[in-house]
Amino acid sequence: MLLLRYIIWMKGRVVTKEGKRNPADLFFLMLTAIASCSILFLTAGILIVLVKSSSLAINTFGFFHFIVSQEWNPVAEVFGAASTLYGTLVTTTLSLFFAIPIAIGIAIFVTEVAPASVKTPISMAIELLAAIPSIIYGMWGLFTLAPLMSNHIEPFLQSTLGTLPFFSVLMEGTPMGIDLLTASVILSIMIIPFTASIARDSFELTPSFVKESAYGLGATKWDVIKNVVMPYSKLGIFGGIVLSMGRALGETMAVAFVLGNKHEITSSLLDAAATITVSLANEFAEADSDLYLSSLFYLALVLFLMSFVTLAIAKLLLLRAERRYSR
Amino acid sequence: MTEAVEIAIHNLNFYYAGAVQALKAINLDIMKNQITALIGPSGCGKTTLLRCFNRMHDLYPRHRYEGEIVMGGRNILAPDIDLIDLRSKVGMVFQKPTPFPMTIFDNVAYGLRLKGIRKKEELSERVERSLKHAALWDEVKDKLWASAYDLSGGQQQRLVIARALAVEPGVLLFDEPTSALDPISTAKIEELVIQLKNDVTIIIVTHNMQQAARISDRTGFLMLGEIVEVGTTEKIFTSPSEKLTEEYVTGRFG
Amino acid sequence: MNARQKRKIENIIALSLSTAAAGFGIFWLLFIVSDVLMHGVAGFSAALFLSDPVPAGVEGGGLRNAFVGQLMIISVAALIGVPVGLLGGTFLAEYARGRQIARIISVLADIMVSVPSIIIGTFVYAILVKPLGHFSGWAGSTALAMIMIPVVLRTTEDMLTLVPWTLREAAFALGAPYYKVIFQVVYRGAATGILTGILLSIARVVGETAPLLFTSFNNAFFSVDMNGPMPSLTVSIFQYAMGPYDDWHAQAWAAAFVITLAILVVTVVSRMIIQWRYKK
Repeated sequence: MLLLRYIIWMKGRVVTKEGKRNPADLFFLMLTAIASCSILFLTAGILIVLVKSSSLAINTFGFFHFIVSQEWNPVAEVFGAASTLYGTLVTTTLSLFFAIPIAIGIAIFVTEVAPASVKTPISMAIELLAAIPSIIYGMWGLFTLAPLMSNHIEPFLQSTLGTLPFFSVLMEGTPMGIDLLTASVILSIMIIPFTASIARDSFELTPSFVKESAYGLGATKWDVIKNVVMPYSKLGIFGGIVLSMGRALGETMAVAFVLGNKHEITSSLLDAAATITVSLANEFAEADSDLYLSSLFYLALVLFLMSFVTLAIAKLLLLRAERRYSR
Repeated sequence: MTEAVEIAIHNLNFYYAGAVQALKAINLDIMKNQITALIGPSGCGKTTLLRCFNRMHDLYPRHRYEGEIVMGGRNILAPDIDLIDLRSKVGMVFQKPTPFPMTIFDNVAYGLRLKGIRKKEELSERVERSLKHAALWDEVKDKLWASAYDLSGGQQQRLVIARALAVEPGVLLFDEPTSALDPISTAKIEELVIQLKNDVTIIIVTHNMQQAARISDRTGFLMLGEIVEVGTTEKIFTSPSEKLTEEYVTGRFG
Repeated sequence: MNARQKRKIENIIALSLSTAAAGFGIFWLLFIVSDVLMHGVAGFSAALFLSDPVPAGVEGGGLRNAFVGQLMIISVAALIGVPVGLLGGTFLAEYARGRQIARIISVLADIMVSVPSIIIGTFVYAILVKPLGHFSGWAGSTALAMIMIPVVLRTTEDMLTLVPWTLREAAFALGAPYYKVIFQVVYRGAATGILTGILLSIARVVGETAPLLFTSFNNAFFSVDMNGPMPSLTVSIFQYAMGPYDDWHAQAWAAAFVITLAILVVTVVSRMIIQWRYKK
């Protein structure tokens, strides 16, 4: 109905390239046009369906109240997003905090420092790391990293950082390994290859003659990186960071194993918590009441909007970077 | 020897994107079985004019023709002309060699297959004929099934010419065909073009005045979308009527 | 110390730090891969591929149903996702090249590539699971196809755009209609790139778990009925790893190893093909 009219309208807008249109050509054009519209339908569809499915929860809890309420009680049927939002934001921020310096370091290494023989294998290694599915990271996190954290690293942190005034609050509790810190570490390991690869691509866009002018003036490699390459790639790097943030926001399996899914805002990094994705993964199939399910959809909607906006910003930044460089 | 007019252009105006006028009041006769060269400084409209003959402009939106180009008794600018038919009668060779990602044989056979010719014997025979016509047969007869990309630049351009010849067009358009080639390949292509005029009418756009002087029978000099002067090549290069023509061919501006 | 010496020292420090960072990154890769290898090989057995799961708490059994189920779900997903993505990308790079609508769809597709896969799962749940009242392999495949489409569409678009425009003009000049130009010239020119893009998109969805969690769900039994819950490798790994039994953990590791190996092989092969083809 509406779709058909829209398609016909769209077809009319597409340029007619020949004096007489071949019917087979017309058919193929429409076929490909409809296929590309799938993206529009997908995006709009997700938005509409999520809104519709969460309407019950939206009407019950409103917007502002849902966002700030910590309570998540399936029995009493009271739901609030604050705890999962907190978990999502903390894990994302912390993981970016760990990942970004390392990723940029790797990018610098690959583009400027590495001898040619090492460049390709390391580049390939980065691509492979990025291809490993998140469930592998999650499993590895559960079986290898979590015990490591709870037996060695976390007690160590507690005895060192934990004694300092600000950090003590972050290091409270018994280190079990299933907590915000472990989840953030896993997430950061996941993001590193992705961010490094985008950073490397941005660095490589710096034209050699600009770098050569700097070298010609007697600059060291680091000088050139710091003063020429990085400012030149600013937009691309920033876009890459925001893109990684978008990815981290939506990561499920890597954190699902090691976070615990506890709906509570906790100040300690060594406590279990919950992110939107983890709650969805664990509770979706079990939700037994309409309001419960609707609240979960509400969470999904919030996540969708957050990640869509983040990714859109990232894309705009990267587009701007591209436009700048092709001048 | 009587000269026959193959194509007659009457008062052609051409507009890009609806508004920009690229050709003004062009009147030109293209003689059968002769090589007509179009010369002029960059942006003068010679390539634009060339692309009118096979209506390549129709691939892009919002172009406008005014006037007529009469070929075979019909105005080929009319909206009811079958473009696919037109393009099998008027072939084109571009600036950069554009072999398709196929074997040498398939490249030359492409136009034939488009016309519906399927029989192996007929295809083989016509492919061989075109390759001989394009002076490429001896070099590729043992590797017809190799990729076209294995050939050198000059050979690729001759392959493209063979491809265009295979459908036996009456007219062949050349858009600066040797500007991407080295001098030896250029010489070979020029030789080829001169031979080809016995079978096809040739219109060639070239930046290289010496090339136009070497190979063409008639020359048209364009500037800013208008024809300044047209006549036999000998006349244009030795005793042109227009001052502008004289200044251009003597290199006073370019 | 003068400015020059200071800069030299800074240089050494900075470059060493970046080398350390690279080493750090490679270290984790090797650590994770070798860990998966060790654990995976330990749990490896013929039974993994040949037998189906046994009741909880009982030793033994395998994941044959999950391997088969995963293959089926992925195949159907590819059957839906690849053509749609391919055709869509063709539209953007050919018929609609340069137009506003093409740019909008392209940007949207790029965004959708990175959208959380669990959201796709909830979406498909709402439209294919809840209304029908049961989980199904079709729903799982649909969710995976929705993840594949933007990926295939964008790589197709990029690869087709790489084919030089004059090649198309040459084909037009011979009298070919546009769709023939696309099929006979442009697709041929971009074939390697497009195929690699398709391979990579499949590698991507092979490892996806979240979108299957509430669409195809999982099945402890061997099943080829796409109308009901289908066993899948990734969801089984999730359940087994989170479960209490060591036996389950071993199987989960072995399955994880197989998946990782498959993905790594496909990724390496694809990258090598791209390198070989586009380096000339």
